[in-house]
Formats: sequence, structure tokens, C-alpha cells
Amino acid sequence: MKKKIIEALNEKAKAIDRLAEGERKTAEALGKLPGMPQGCTTIFDTGWETNPRPTYPIGNCQASARDFHGCAGDCWWPAQMPDGLTNHQDFDVACPNVARDWRNLKYD
Amino acid sequence: MSDTYSWADHRVFAAPAAPDGRALLFGADHASLFAIDRATQEVLDRWRTREAIVLDDAPAPEREVLEALRDAQVLVPSAWLRRPAPEAIDPAAIPLGTLVLEAAQACNLRCTYCYAGGGSYGGAARLMDPELARRAARFLVDASGDRESVTLVLFGGEPLLNLPALKAAVLEGEAAARARGKQLVVSLTTNGTRFTPEVLAFLREHPVAISVSIDGPPDLHDANRRYPGARGGGTYADIVAGLKVLRAHLPRPPAARVTLTPDQWGRIPEVFDHVRGLGFVEVGIAPASPVNAALLPTPAQEEALFAGFGELAGRFADEAAAGRVLPFSNVLDLLARLHLGKVKDAPCGAGLGYLALDAEGSLFLCHRLAGVERFRVGDLDAGIDHAGIRASLAEQAAPRRAACSACWARKLCAGGCHHDNHVRESELGLPPGGSCDFIRRWLELGLQVYAGLSRDPGNPVLAFLGRRADG
Repeated sequence: MKKKIIEALNEKAKAIDRLAEGERKTAEALGKLPGMPQGCTTIFDTGWETNPRPTYPIGNCQASARDFHGCAGDCWWPAQMPDGLTNHQDFDVACPNVARDWRNLKYD
Repeated sequence: MSDTYSWADHRVFAAPAAPDGRALLFGADHASLFAIDRATQEVLDRWRTREAIVLDDAPAPEREVLEALRDAQVLVPSAWLRRPAPEAIDPAAIPLGTLVLEAAQACNLRCTYCYAGGGSYGGAARLMDPELARRAARFLVDASGDRESVTLVLFGGEPLLNLPALKAAVLEGEAAARARGKQLVVSLTTNGTRFTPEVLAFLREHPVAISVSIDGPPDLHDANRRYPGARGGGTYADIVAGLKVLRAHLPRPPAARVTLTPDQWGRIPEVFDHVRGLGFVEVGIAPASPVNAALLPTPAQEEALFAGFGELAGRFADEAAAGRVLPFSNVLDLLARLHLGKVKDAPCGAGLGYLALDAEGSLFLCHRLAGVERFRVGDLDAGIDHAGIRASLAEQAAPRRAACSACWARKLCAGGCHHDNHVRESELGLPPGGSCDFIRRWLELGLQVYAGLSRDPGNPVLAFLGRRADG
């Protein structure tokens, strides 16, 4: 065990110590797995397919649904999505929650 | 490219009592306190003047120490030092938590050092109308946002000269708090001469935390705390008699609030022992504010004040080593703050959840500044003037900003008492910073006492400090 060079005396110092302990562990883990990526890929946002965040669309792969909003407007990525230019100009209003409301568009 | 690191503001204090030549390392931004060995001190000394440190460039044994200092946030990424200063606290975002009622701007005593001009805070003696007191208590509860507990302070002058207003405020405050599921805490500061049967009955029925002003043995007390007029004598005998009555009627003893003038500062331990011996739960000692030039201390008097406080701090440490608490409020409050490492960006709660209400219904930044027009921040009808509070606090901070930003104690002190600064600078025309040296010495003494205490993590006094810091 590494010798403790600096001893935390008050509660604030102990909190800073604990913080550093946590940070060091993360840094060590990263050191063992070199090149571990953070976030999504740089160009192909395939992270759209999953969503670990507790927000819409909840917790699973919703690729096409996510594309509806993610690839609207002037997005260059060719994804299947409602035709926002002529037939479904306000599709975002018609289906505020795409995963739940996409049938409102009747575009098939 | 490797990250560069720079030194965050910190101080190393020698710790004569510490084993193995260890010193104390205090992080100024977080009020964090560490103990460091001699080798670490030497590395600190060698690297202290470097501005951009690359850890990988340091030889291995020194790098280990520098990494430990980085983990302690004493050595921080250089980019952190360029971060913009945090914005000033927004008074409008802080719900009201404490309202001081200047229930009686009148007093039956004429203490020589009174900052309230004989209790009236300027003008004729007057009492707060009970209806206004009632509205004030409701105002406090209504303005308290999501706070679970609010504090009503019954103050003056001598508040017990106006029992009807106190009763009205407490009854209304209790009802309003109950209706909103909040707790009402009531405290009372009194000169101890008015414990009449009606007052005692009121204090028995309502839980009120009582502070009694008493200044030590009869000769010291009677030198300043006197009845008015040429024939008015000292009040010591009456207060001790009143105290006896109070103790007979109430289960919990009151706290003592001592004020000493500079000529009395040589007898601080004796004052503490005397007052403690009268049965108070705790004793706090305040040097009198220099409300006139005669109360400005000489350097020798200031030295005596520090020596007196220092002796009591030493006794606190001795008692604490045996697991006992010496009930000296000044040390307890300081150590509780240091225990947590509580930092602050404003010196006190004045205007930030804490306000005083005068007998006419005007709100002021704090109880001591009642009646001073430039510290008036609204009234019960118009509500709290948050812009006025913001301007007033900014005006108070401005002359000391530069000195504070270079001071290691800034996060523990944040500029000192607004009232003290006001009387020193606006009324006596002194430059800012007259109390800084004393404050720093006192804080450093507290760090030393705390460091000694923390060597025994199982000491119950540490747990006591933790509970006190949590309120």
C-alpha cells in the first residue's frame, strides 16, 4: 500500500481525498484499456441507436425514431425520415414523442 | 502535450505540538486542512516558485509528492486559475430564514459601549406596536420559501420592555409556522433585569433560547453596564438575582453574552471563569465595537485580547484531550467551522436570509445596522428590496476586495462584520483592514487547536463539533 504522504485532517480535506481516490481509479482503468473511447464516434453518430439516458426514447435502440428529429432539416446524413419538405412539414408537431406518435404521420 | 499545474493559494503553518516535525497545510480555496511531513515541506519549498509545473518532468520521488499535492488540490491544473470569479450571491434567491425584531427601541440600561445609542438606534425611545410584531412574524414565515425552520429573534434595546409585542410575534409565528409545517425557533437577548412574573410565565409557555448580557465579575460588569442618570448604579446584583429567578423557573440555563472594553481585555480568562460559574450553558465573549474613538484599542490591548482568547483556546484543547467540552462559544463556533471546512463568499448572513425589522416596520441589513438609512432594505409593506441589498453588500465589499483576494483566510472570514467595518470606516474614518491581523491570528490559532484535536479521530469532542456545525 502506498504510503500516505499527506494526511487529511478536517472533513473538507477528507472529501477532497475521497474525490482524488475516485479520480485515480478511473485514470488507472483508462490506463489499462488504452484508447477507450468516450462518447459517440466522431462522424457516424451510431450512438443514436441506443440511449442510456433516462430520457426519450427511453433506454433502448430507437434508431429510426431518433433519426426523425436527428436527421431533419439540413442534416446531411441520409436516414429514413418523414418528408419534411412537402408532405409532413410539421411532423414534429404531429408527433412530439416519435416513438409513441409516429403512426400519426400515416406516411406508409 | 502534458498538462501543466500551478499552485492554488495555500499556507503552511508550523505546528510546534505536532509529532515528527509535521506542519499544517491549509488550502485557502476550500478551507481544507492537511498535515504534511518534513519531506513534503521540502518539496513544496523547492517547487513553490515554479509557475507551470509538468508532473512528468519531475524526478520520481518528487513527482510522488507533487501528485499527492495535486490530489489535495493544492497543485491544480493551470487552467483552473484562469476560471472567472464566481458571481456574487443573489439575495433574491435566498429565502428569509431569520428576522430580528427590534421590539423595543428603548432600554432601561445605559451601557457605555452600546452601539444602539442607549437602545433607541437613534431618535426617541419607542416600542414596536404588537400588530406590527404580529405582521412581522407572518412575514418571516411567508418569505421563508422552502426552509423547514425559521428563526425569530426578540431583540432591542431591551426586548422585555415590550412583552405585548413579543407575545404577539411568537403566537403568530407559531401559528403561521404550524400551518405551513415549519419549525419556529425563537431566541431572546436580554439584559437580565426584567424577569417579571409575566415574563417568566411567557418564557415557560414558549420554548425560547435565552442569551443574557453579563460582563464578568462585579467591578468589570458595573463599569459599563449601568442604569441611566448620574445616580444610576451598576446592574450586576440585579442580574445575578434575576438569573436565580430564571433558573428556578426554566429547565434550560441561558447562554451568556459578554462584551468587554479594551481596558478589560487583560482579564478574559477570569471573566470566563466567573460567568461560567454563574451557571450559564455557554459563554461567548465579544470585544466592544469601536462605536467611538475611545473604544479603539491600543496595540498592547489587542495583544492582551489575543493572549486571553489564546489562553482559553489552550484550556479548550486540554479539556478536549480528556473528551470534555469547555463551553467557550468563540472557540466552539470557530472549530465547528474548521471541522467541516465551511467556506463562505459573504462574511455573514446579513441581507442573505437574515434581516432586522425596526419599530416602524423598516427592514435593515442586520440588527446592528437598524436605523442607518443607507442599510435600509425595504419594509413590511413593500417587501424586501433585493436590489438594495445587492448594492449595499457590494458597497461593503468594494473597499476590501483587493486585500481579501490576497488573503489566505478569505473563505473563512470573507471581509468581517459589516457593522464593525461601517463604524471603523464611515464613522471613525479609519482605513479598511484594521481587524484583519487579529482575525488571521485567531483563525490560525483555531487551526492549531483543531489539528491537535484531530490527532484522535475517536474523540467525542470532534463529533460534538460536527453536530454543532450542522446546526
